[in-house]
Amino acid sequence: MELAEMSMLLNPRRLDDVVILDLSGRITIGEGTLVLRDRIRKLLAAGDQKFLLNLADVDYIDSSGLGELVSSFTTVRSQGGQLKLLNLTRRVQDLLQITKLLTVFEVFNNEAEALKTMT
Amino acid sequence: MAAKRRRSFELTIPSRIEQMEAVHALIEEAVKEYKLSNDMAHWIELSISESMINAIQHGNKADPSKQATLRISSSGDAIEIIVEDEGCGFTFDNVADPTDKANLLKPSGRGILIIRSFMDEVDLSQREGGGCRLRMVKRLPGVDGAR
Repeated sequence: MELAEMSMLLNPRRLDDVVILDLSGRITIGEGTLVLRDRIRKLLAAGDQKFLLNLADVDYIDSSGLGELVSSFTTVRSQGGQLKLLNLTRRVQDLLQITKLLTVFEVFNNEAEALKTMT
Repeated sequence: MAAKRRRSFELTIPSRIEQMEAVHALIEEAVKEYKLSNDMAHWIELSISESMINAIQHGNKADPSKQATLRISSSGDAIEIIVEDEGCGFTFDNVADPTDKANLLKPSGRGILIIRSFMDEVDLSQREGGGCRLRMVKRLPGVDGAR
């Protein structure tokens, strides 16, 4: 675990009116959660309402990171939008299972399938 | 735990989240020393990280003049982790169940659940002279714990 791996990278791309955020690294207390929060809020302010968070390259989320996913979800939903999760790693899936957040989020393993649901 | 003690690790930090990099570096050193599997190392790191963040934020109220201490040791068949703070911001009894429907959308309160889900033993006690002591034990699979 090098220090460079301690932070999170976020790469947005757009398919029609859906913003897909490809996340990589670690979503943890501090910078990792702030990066996600700021980006979602800026996109919301710019009028975007449909978000798909691709967590394929996220192998470590702590409780603050989970909290940020929940906050992003509630913020987007309160503005009439949608936020769904894509490609959970096994460890992140386990964490969402333990915390029962799998009952909160819609989770997909296939991007095309996820996009079909974002109407 | 059995008497076959291996190298142990200890770190004391001021209560600032920025100090968590030092915590992660120590955990990395320990999991290498104990030759833990990737999975075991992951959950050990997450449990320790959650407990140190609790000590900093809830125990010591992020007061940098107060310190948090981490000790990691292994008998070969189990890992023992001790986290101490100078505050005592919570007891297990007053932590709301984050999986309760009423709490599911709250942004915080999941750290203890994560720790208890992974660790085999979790005990919280008062330290003499003030502060809290969290002791966690994870039993290791196989003789060498290196699955």
